[in-house]
Amino acid sequence: MAKFTFTDDIFFGSISEIAAALAKKEFSTVELTHAFCNRLEKLGPRYNALALSLRDSALRKAKDVDRDFKLDRVRSPLQGIPYGAKDLLAAKGKPTTWGAKAFAGQVFKEDAAVIELLDKAGAILIGKLSMVELAGGGGNRYPSASATGACLNPWDRTYWSGGSSSGPGTATAAGMVTFSIGSETSGSILGPSAYCGITGLRPTYGLVSRRGAMALSWTLDKIGPMCRSVEDCALVLSVIAGNDFEDPGSAGKSFHYAPQFARKPDEITIGYAPIDFDESAAPEMRAGLQEALKLVKSLGMSMKEVEIPDFPYNALVSMIIATEGASAFEDFIRSGKVDELTDHRQARGLKANLDIPAVDYLRAMRVRALVQQAFRDLFLDVDFLLAPTKPNIAWKLTDRLDDTTPPATPPKSRGLSGLIPAGNLAGLPALSLPCGFASGLPIAISVVGRPFYENQLIAVGKAFQSHTDWHRKRPPVTE
Amino acid sequence: MLAAAAAIPQAATPQTPPPDADLDSARELLKSNAQQIAKVKLPMPTEPAFHFKA
Repeated sequence: MAKFTFTDDIFFGSISEIAAALAKKEFSTVELTHAFCNRLEKLGPRYNALALSLRDSALRKAKDVDRDFKLDRVRSPLQGIPYGAKDLLAAKGKPTTWGAKAFAGQVFKEDAAVIELLDKAGAILIGKLSMVELAGGGGNRYPSASATGACLNPWDRTYWSGGSSSGPGTATAAGMVTFSIGSETSGSILGPSAYCGITGLRPTYGLVSRRGAMALSWTLDKIGPMCRSVEDCALVLSVIAGNDFEDPGSAGKSFHYAPQFARKPDEITIGYAPIDFDESAAPEMRAGLQEALKLVKSLGMSMKEVEIPDFPYNALVSMIIATEGASAFEDFIRSGKVDELTDHRQARGLKANLDIPAVDYLRAMRVRALVQQAFRDLFLDVDFLLAPTKPNIAWKLTDRLDDTTPPATPPKSRGLSGLIPAGNLAGLPALSLPCGFASGLPIAISVVGRPFYENQLIAVGKAFQSHTDWHRKRPPVTE
Repeated sequence: MLAAAAAIPQAATPQTPPPDADLDSARELLKSNAQQIAKVKLPMPTEPAFHFKA
């Protein structure tokens, strides 16, 4: 058999396309894994996206998978597909740094639940991907707050990929992996997905096990797929979702991708706020966002103008992450090891968080119960909420992330501003969809649904992507 | 190292501000968050969202 030449069509191929090529024996899993490892090892460090290459274990696994293919044993649609995992997830016997030099020597004896599930499904873990140290707990001031340095945006290397799932954003966008696994406490899947031009799915809280993942906030942390299309997110989610008695937050639910059971567009109502696509977004983004809104309106769904319930979402989510994170990292903070963090603001933030009064945390959690009720009420009127994922394009590498100036005049309406922290407080699933470019960088919209409504959420995302090709755009990356 | 890599601007290198300034501003932020949350009218029977299930 002639040696196969791996081109961008494979590196940027969908899960189904690569699976079909493997099934047709156009190349073996070992050859595919070699090609992706070469690319990840070459491009990953150039973009500060790679925390650790797992070439040896990946090739061992690829040989096993090839044996399965020879026996016509297909375990899942992900069999033989190369992927990367945020370095917040434990991989048995390998360093798991959580993005921080202080944890460089940390090795776990067990795989994280999601890695275990993907392994059983035949997917090939080729590398651990970079992240903001400790997922940004304490509040980092700079994009460089990571053991691997600031992760560069594949669309423009003078910009950041976003965080904290930085490596998954860049590596997936640049075709270094076919998909990746990220995590979100408040915005860490959706943000890098929007900034890097990929499709990210934040599952409902409790749908995907967090066993073996670094804890930042027990009541907010979620694990989810970061892919190049909605269809790929659906395939990955069907493998990683499910009950886990060893995750106290597990909801005991599973997810089966069943597009045939999705409701038709004319049975769906989308809530949105025009101001989000206009005044509240950065001026250079407005044309692209309005085009996306126009397209959604043309899909045959009912559209209804709504406003987000009035709560201090950022203050609430900050208070909860700060308190739970300080507790999770208490020993690390009190030992003084916290001073080894790259970002001094983050270290000081973690120290200050130890002094939060219990009543402040409990008040935030009580208000959170009101937030959940308010969203239950809002979803009586609409099936989904639609808003720009971020009102701005990616940050420059030289930007200070804490340098935010409030608008000179307050906006006329809240719109759906604050939907990322609000959706996380209420545990809602969300999908970020690339919808164009502004100043050469990707922009995106988000669809947010009711808890455990992923199948329908995916149907809406697929309808959007069947009319657009933004998710197929490839950044200017060459080996 | 690739030429292109050398040409990109370096990410902001964390400068070390006086440690107490950062600690003070972190405490100020916590105070401000607590004040914003305190403004929300909270009915007495409202229990915290523990055992959180969406």
